[in-house]
Formats: sequence, structure tokens, C-alpha cells
Amino acid sequence: MIGYLTQVIRAIAFVFIALLLCGVIFEFAGFSAPLMFQSIADGAFLSVRAWENSLRWGLPLFLTALGVVISFRCGFFNIGAQGQFYMGAIAATFVADGLNGAPAVLVMPLTFAAGILGGAVWALWPGLLRVRSGTDEVITTLMGNFIAGLFLVYVTSGPLKDPSGTGQAASSRPIGEAYRIAATSSISPAIIVIAVLVGVGMWVLVNRTSFGVLSSLAGRNPIMVVWQGARLSRLGLAGFVIGGALAGLAGTIEVLGPIGRLSSGMLPTHGFTAILIALVANLSVLATAVVALFFGGLAAAGLYLPVLAGLPAAAIDIINAAIALFITARAWPKRLTGLFGSRQDAG
Amino acid sequence: MTTGTATALACRDVSVNFGPVAALADVSVNFAEGMIHAVVGQNGAGKTTFARVAAGIVRPDKGGVEIAGREVPVGHVGQARAAGIEIVHQSFALPPSFTVAEAMEFGANGSGSLYTRRDLERRWTRHLESLGVRVKPRERIRDLPVETQQAVEIARALVTDARVLILDEPTAVLSPSGIDNLFERLKVMQANGVTVILILHKIREVLAIADTVTVLRGGKLVEGPTSTAEVDAARLAASIIGSTDDILSETDRDALVGAAEDEGKETEPAHHAGPAILDMRGVSTRPDPEGPALENVALTVGRGEIVGIAGVEGNGQRTLVRALSHLADLTGGTITLSGVEVTHHPLSARRANGLRVIPFERNSEGLSLSSALWENWSARALLRDGVLKLISPARLRRACTAALQVWDVRFNSPNQPAGSLSGGNAQKLILAREVDDEATLIIAAQPTRGLDVGATAFVWRSLREARDRGCGILLISSDLDELFDISDRIVVMLSGRINGEFSHPYHLGEIGAAMTGADR
Repeated sequence: MIGYLTQVIRAIAFVFIALLLCGVIFEFAGFSAPLMFQSIADGAFLSVRAWENSLRWGLPLFLTALGVVISFRCGFFNIGAQGQFYMGAIAATFVADGLNGAPAVLVMPLTFAAGILGGAVWALWPGLLRVRSGTDEVITTLMGNFIAGLFLVYVTSGPLKDPSGTGQAASSRPIGEAYRIAATSSISPAIIVIAVLVGVGMWVLVNRTSFGVLSSLAGRNPIMVVWQGARLSRLGLAGFVIGGALAGLAGTIEVLGPIGRLSSGMLPTHGFTAILIALVANLSVLATAVVALFFGGLAAAGLYLPVLAGLPAAAIDIINAAIALFITARAWPKRLTGLFGSRQDAG
Repeated sequence: MTTGTATALACRDVSVNFGPVAALADVSVNFAEGMIHAVVGQNGAGKTTFARVAAGIVRPDKGGVEIAGREVPVGHVGQARAAGIEIVHQSFALPPSFTVAEAMEFGANGSGSLYTRRDLERRWTRHLESLGVRVKPRERIRDLPVETQQAVEIARALVTDARVLILDEPTAVLSPSGIDNLFERLKVMQANGVTVILILHKIREVLAIADTVTVLRGGKLVEGPTSTAEVDAARLAASIIGSTDDILSETDRDALVGAAEDEGKETEPAHHAGPAILDMRGVSTRPDPEGPALENVALTVGRGEIVGIAGVEGNGQRTLVRALSHLADLTGGTITLSGVEVTHHPLSARRANGLRVIPFERNSEGLSLSSALWENWSARALLRDGVLKLISPARLRRACTAALQVWDVRFNSPNQPAGSLSGGNAQKLILAREVDDEATLIIAAQPTRGLDVGATAFVWRSLREARDRGCGILLISSDLDELFDISDRIVVMLSGRINGEFSHPYHLGEIGAAMTGADR
């Protein structure tokens, strides 16, 4: 327990060091660091409106990060959350757009199912390649991100193109009002309910089922669970598929919720921020919820920075990158070093 | 006997600490020139550390080393070698992909000067021949039998006029006849004026070869060097083990220190094996990454029977365990467990049928070192009950705590990582998981390797108790004394085949011959 607390405190400390470093950088670049921190606090947490924004960005990140947590715990370095997020969004949009006009009770479950399935399938093939033939999942899932990103460009300017679209980014037609789960471009009770339910479900899966214990053992030492008679391929595939499904769910929520349509190049850093969240949270479900809200707050504050501090919104990307740097420097979580060690054995 | 001759190697007040553990504490000892000295002790007594300090590999925290009366800077391999001290390690240190000639050249000079292959081979053939090592200098180290590898390693150590040769547990990897050959070779070297220091842990071997014996226990010098003419096996055993009479029977003690008689004696009436728990018929496998393929292996283990598998390491023992665990590919034959044919069943089904495995590698195959004790302990039950079953970690932790207390594991919390346990406690954790009431066949692969006396005795007692409950036990060990002591029957493996089966009373000579194929 003490060890766990020190880990959490260390992670928080590193986030603050990263923020300080960014403050110094911006100060030297001629911006006001105190004003920057002030506007981040204002934009993320210091008003009801700010909290709404933080939740709007944080909850989809939470879902995707949960998927990353599950996959990493199983010992598979699935970094394809971004592609799985896109594929979920694309599949959901195909269904919602194709069935436009049908009753919502029919369309909405199908849309969610399609989104979840889309993400899961996009994680399944790297998973199969990994467990069947040992193909490095870091390569396949990373490549999968590019394929999914380009596929998104294709569908938004091809099959799903909005003929009346005038904006610079190609996009699909807006999702029908009846199918939206958030009327405005913000958070809604429905999204909160989904996030809480899924969060509780994943917490139970990780902390209160055999799967949680066995996948953690497998992630730390796959050889040992093989000698216990586990089928590593199934545990691993489950990790991939759950990870993909959650990213797909997040994509569906973005399409049916705040964004309201599929657009080319939407949220291009979503999946990578999710990986960062999972690592900062040290692969704990509970910590992931807190960290996701923090990063959601940063994303929300990104919109305020140009207005209040005169900083470009990309300043948030610099902050994210600084946090990533410090978290990776903190040393890999043990289970990942174990993973890379065992990979050599397997090779 | 030790007076009047010059001192070849002297250690003064040598202390070595590994973290909080004192591996050696104030050891002072003088080895006389031109003799064969034995250094003995249990696992963890500090024998290997002692050898490494002498050879300059480990820098002691305190103390000094003198060779032929001259002080040598400690912790410096080059200086130690220059002063004439060489060491042959327990696990061989020659690069497996080198040819014999290349390994000799590298070991002798370690230099990068230009040479041709033919040159090298010519140079080293003579040296090897003069030492009576029959090997082609062109062969690769990895293709040589263990015994020849060791001979090459000794030849490598003798390239530079070594005055003192230290061999760290050289007999552990050898068959009985290989040990005889090694001892012959050492006697020739002694006649040539080399002082030999042998790290051993079997009294029988000490009495067969050494002029003096030095005993270490818990990092401290107990006695020595004492002339072997003045000691007998019983006194030496007491000296090595100390006062642990309460946990060891006499035969167990003799097995532990290798003091049992050469010719077997009737120790206990052989158990009458019940109906077969394990029945392997004509089992063959593909070559396994971890050893030779099994060829037409037929093996039975009865209810309430301990069957020992003897053999020089690397003769298919690992493949056998992997085949029984469905981790090696069978090309023929059948495996039957408690009357159910499981040839094509996965390990999970075999475990459901009562199979339990204590694998060779405690720290990689047996445990996940960075995971908590309770996770390691509960893995078997969790897999048995299905992956999606709801669990209560708090209840599992309590159950784990209770179980580990029964098995006498020393631990602080069920949440501590398994890697924080000592070797003996880690093995007890594995026993606590694998030896349960539903077990019918327990495969125990080298279950006592690296354990101290108490833990070894504990493992033996656990296996005997499991047998007395009706379990069949397949014990794989490279330690013949261990096998002789607790097996009801011994099966010898050679090159992936079964090469003989023996029952009480065991004869070292016969079993040794079967291990090397000299019986055919």
C-alpha cells in the first residue's frame, strides 16, 4: 500500500515538474508563465463551465485509456488506440448515416455495437498476428493507426462525404438529431452514465475477477502462466479486443455526442494521450479516471490559452509532451520491462 | 602434512557482503603447494564466493590474498592470473559458438592479434594433446559433450603456467565415470606441480581425491585445511551441516553431503507401487529448444511411488517434463494420466486431471517474481475455476497467508513480490501451490537445486508425504545421492531415451554406466 502511494505521489510530482519546465520555457519565450498557469486553471477546473469542458474531453479519453490499461496489463504494448478510435467512429457513422430515418431505439444500439465492433476488429488483427506468429504488436498497431487515419480521410471525402460541406476539413453529414447523445457540443448525462458504467465494469474486471489477476501475471511473466496451463493466446487476444472495443466506444461517443459528425483528421492525438494517461496512472483503473480528467482539463484549457495568455493552443501539446518525457524517464512500469525481456526469450 | 611446504595461496581475514548478507566473514586459510585441496560446504556456505575472491573476480570488503607468498591486489582478475591463479567456473564460460582453437586462443591471450585458423589449430592441438584432451580443435564448443567442454576449459586455464587451479563444483555436471576421469586428470596435474583447489559438496568425492579439506558454513571457516587422513565421513558431515540433527534422518544427512556408501544398501523396503498414475508409451517428440528429442520413451509411475529420473543434464530430462506438460510437440506415442488418455489434451486439462508441475526454473517458469505472493499462489486455482469468475482478493490474500504459514514460508505480507523471497522460501511457495489434495501426479524437476539443508529436507519430506497420501511423483534430479535417498525406483535417461531402470538396492557403478552409455 505504501509502495502504491509513493508511486502515485511520484507520478503527480513528475507532472508538476513537467508543468514547471513548460512554465520556464514559455517565460523565456516571452510569454507569462503565471498567466499561463492561471488560464489553465481557469479553463480546466475553476468554474462549472470549465468542469463541463474538462469532462467533455476527459471522459472519451478515460474510456480509451482504460482500453490501453487492459491491454498493457496483459503484457501487450498495443499502441493502436488512435486507429481503433477512428475505426470505431467510422463504423458507427456508417450505421447511423445509413439507417438515418429509422427509429432511434433501433439505430442507436446498432450504432454503438458497430462502433465497439469496429474498434475491436482493428485491434483483433494485430492481436492474432501477435499470438499466432509472434509479429511485434508495436509495429502492427502503429501502422494500423496510419491506415485508419487515411481510411478516415477516404470515407469522409468519399462514401460518407457531406455534399453540402464547405469547411476545409472533409466531413460526413451531421448525425441525425434523434441519435445524438449530447445535443450541444459539450458533455451530457448520457456520456457520464456510459463512462461510469464502463469504468465500474473495467474496475471489476481488473480487480475482482480471475482475468484481472491472471492477465497481470501473464503481463509480468508469460512463461509462468503457460506452465500453469493458461492459454496465453486467449488472455492476450482478450486484452487486445477489449482495448480496441473501448477505443471504438470512445469514437462512437465523439460522433454521436460532442462532435456530431465524422470529420477528417478529428482529434489526431486522442489515442496517444490515452496511452500517456494509462502510463501516468501506472495501469490502475481508479488512477486512470483521475488522470484522464486532468488531461481532459488540459485539453479544455487549450481553448482558453490563445484568448487569455496569448499562447497558441499547441502549447498544450508541448505540456503533454513534457509530461510524456518525464513519465517515460521515470522508468518504464516494471511489467513493460518484463515484457520486453520475455520477448527476447520468445524470439 | 601441511607443515614444511610452501604456501601456494593464502587468504587473510576475507569478508564479503552482498547487501545485508555476509557471504564470507573473516575467512583466513592457507593452502600448501603441490596438493589437492577441497573446500566444502552446503549451498550458500560461501564456497563460490571464496573461489571468486581468490581468482580476483569478487573484490572483498576486507582482507587480502597472497599467492606464493606475494600479496596480490584484490578484485583484479588480470593481476590474479599474472600471479598464476586460474579458475574453472561452475557454469562454463567458453563462448559456445567458438571452435576449440578459437576459445583457447581467446582464453589464453584475449588479444586481437592477427592469426589464421590453421595456425591456431596447429598451436593448440599440441597443447591439448599434452594434457590428454581428445578433441578436434575445429569443433565448436557447443557441440562438445559436457565432460569434454570441461576438459577444454581446464586446458584453457593451464595455458599460462598456472600455479593454482581452482575448480568450482566441477563434478556437478559429470557422470560418475566422468568424475573418475576428471580426478585422474587432476592427479596428473598435481604431479606436475600444480596446486589444485576443488570446490565440492560431496564428502565421497572429497575423500577420494583431496589431500586436505576445508569446511565453510554460513560464510565462516569451520575448520581446515585438515588432512583428509585425519577425518572420516561422519565427522565431516557434522562439520558441514552443523547441529541440524532434529530435521534430518541419518540417510537424508548422508544423501545431502554425499557421504552415502558407494555400494547401495537396503535403506527401506521399497514401496509397492499401486496402479499406474502415469503411463507413457512409445513417446517421441520433435527436437526441443531445451534439449534432445524424446525417442520411444516408455515410463510408468504408480500410485504412492517416487520414480527418480537420473541422467547427465541435457539428456532429455527437460524435454520429458515439457512433453508431460504439453509444451513439447509429440510425434508419436500416448500419455495416460490416471487411466485417461491425455496425449492431445492441453496442460489445463491435464492439471484438471491431477497433474502438478514443479518446473526446472523456479524464477521464470515457477513464479512471476514481480507479482505479489498471493497472485502467484492463487494462479493454479484461478485457472482451474475459469477466467471470468468473480474473486475476492481480500479472501485470497487471507487464504494465501494461511497456506504459506502451513508450508512454513517466511514472509511479511501476501502483497510482497515473489522476488523478495529467498530460494528456499520461493520453492516452498511453489510447493504450496502444486502439492494439494487433488494432486495425483507431481513432477518435481530439480526441486532442491540451490537450497540449503533445511529447505532441502523440507522438500524431501513434502514429497514423501505426498507419496504416502497416494500421489505418484516423478523426481528429476542430477544429484544421484538425492535420487538414491528418496526414489522408490530410478530410471536413467540418455540422449532422450530411457537407458535402464533400477530398484533398491542401487549401485552407483551400474547407474553411472547407464548414464554414460558405458553399459552397452
